[in-house]
Amino acid sequence: MIGPRRRRAFAAVLWAWTAIVLVFLYAPIATSVVYAFNQGVEGRQTSAFTGWTAQWFGAAFADDSLQQGAVTSVVAAFWTALVSVIVGFALGFALVRHPSRMVRRVLAAFTYALLVVPETVIGVALLLMYSETHIPLGLATLVAGHSPLSISVVALVIRARLLTLDPYLEEASADLGAGRLRTLVSIVLPQLGPSLAAAALLAYTFSFDDVVISNFLSTAQLSTLPVYLYGSLQYGPSPKVYAATAMLFAVSLLLVAIAAVVLRAASRRGRGAGVRELVPGGTA
Amino acid sequence: MIRRLGDHATAALPIAWLTVLFLVPIGFAVVFSFGHAGFGSVRLGFTLDNYADALSSLYLQTFLRTIVFAVGCSALCILLGFPVAYAIGRRGGRFARVALALIVVPYLASFLVKVMAWQVLLSRGGPLDALAGLVGGRVDLLDSPVAVVIGTVYVYLPIAVIAMTIVLQRIPPELLQASRDLGASPRTTFLRVTLPLARPGIATAALLTAVPMLGELVIPQLLGGGKGLLMGQAIATQYGQSQNYALGSAMVVLLVLAVGVLVAILVRLTRGFDRVAA
Repeated sequence: MIGPRRRRAFAAVLWAWTAIVLVFLYAPIATSVVYAFNQGVEGRQTSAFTGWTAQWFGAAFADDSLQQGAVTSVVAAFWTALVSVIVGFALGFALVRHPSRMVRRVLAAFTYALLVVPETVIGVALLLMYSETHIPLGLATLVAGHSPLSISVVALVIRARLLTLDPYLEEASADLGAGRLRTLVSIVLPQLGPSLAAAALLAYTFSFDDVVISNFLSTAQLSTLPVYLYGSLQYGPSPKVYAATAMLFAVSLLLVAIAAVVLRAASRRGRGAGVRELVPGGTA
Repeated sequence: MIRRLGDHATAALPIAWLTVLFLVPIGFAVVFSFGHAGFGSVRLGFTLDNYADALSSLYLQTFLRTIVFAVGCSALCILLGFPVAYAIGRRGGRFARVALALIVVPYLASFLVKVMAWQVLLSRGGPLDALAGLVGGRVDLLDSPVAVVIGTVYVYLPIAVIAMTIVLQRIPPELLQASRDLGASPRTTFLRVTLPLARPGIATAALLTAVPMLGELVIPQLLGGGKGLLMGQAIATQYGQSQNYALGSAMVVLLVLAVGVLVAILVRLTRGFDRVAA
């Protein structure tokens, strides 16, 4: 039999390792934020920390390219969230409620495929299709490119909530003479409300943070903030790129935090909703 | 009747949307991969030249390197992440929620912030180099394959931990108790009960890391310094500077095939994940 001492030692090793991994996960993020305050040398970021300054945040705000990129990102993410919530809601609903098992399986395959297929594949394939069908690249094509991944994220959040709904509420509504549409609008949708809001925020965040697909679908006139930052990071960037990226990080953190709070309020049963639903498994 | 209509609409909208924006584009790549290459244009037809090019020694090496890279980095994520998932999922107690949240935050944190940090951390004169200097060591890893591996494992580690934690959390304690009561040592219980029951989580972690890694573009571009080229970069180059859409498309098709093979192997092993995760 194993003694309590060995048991405690095992637990200590386990948690020590967990602590090391947490440091590994957070130290780089902290480094990025700290280096947004680095003075640098002659307007360039340096690997050694040369001193504190907040000037790069102001410089980032004053930079035209960064400004335009930020505006494009905000607008594209807004439309992506809107489209994804509509299509993703339909998908999430059909994933759970469609009467045909086969249709549900096809939809599940779609949903999970989108979550794992490398973005490079989607990006270049879309670029190829747009260029061959002479569809000019612009905001619409960018939003359309961002939408597949966001749709599957929204669908999984909606699906998770639908699975925990109390079926008796809908039966009661039907027994009381409400039609299907009426039940959907006055019984189901209100219960899904918080999940929809959280899903929209997640879709917004995914779009706002996307580099790869945007990179292929951007043009000289229309480029998102992450694409511009990605370009700069390849050639010894100015610290203001770090400042802008740190702000990008703050915005996405804020959005995710709001989404988490909303989702938590939604799942009264106290189950860890949210990210759990982004992790796919076999077909349902 | 109306009922049917509603059902069909909820299924038809996403199917139509995703067909146009996901299947059709990949279909374009398939068609173009058989076309005759030209600079910035492709004459449609049927030739296997592009595949011969894509599988010629230079690109074949890239292709194989990418597969080794994805499988290796994914394995690293699982090995490094499993003890963490075990600690949170089996020994977390009332701290489990907080601990899992601590893993989720870096997962959802801005991608560029995560990659950018390693440009500073791994370069000569950076913070790690300064630390290593205290004991007479050096850190000068930026623009090397090692940097790409570190950056990739870093970016994908949280999702691997999350997937495994979810499954480990749901293993019924009665089963472990039964194993103990029947005289199994902790090691035997772990190997014969816990590990097999954790399989769907491990397979899901592999799926969520190895498959997207096959197309990784930004991390090798920012940390690899042009050395040890990967498939994602090779494809981006063909669609970008080289303007050889036919060759690029053949590479895309090969990548999609690799994705398909990996998914086919792993999806079977994830069976049962949904039951515990729902």
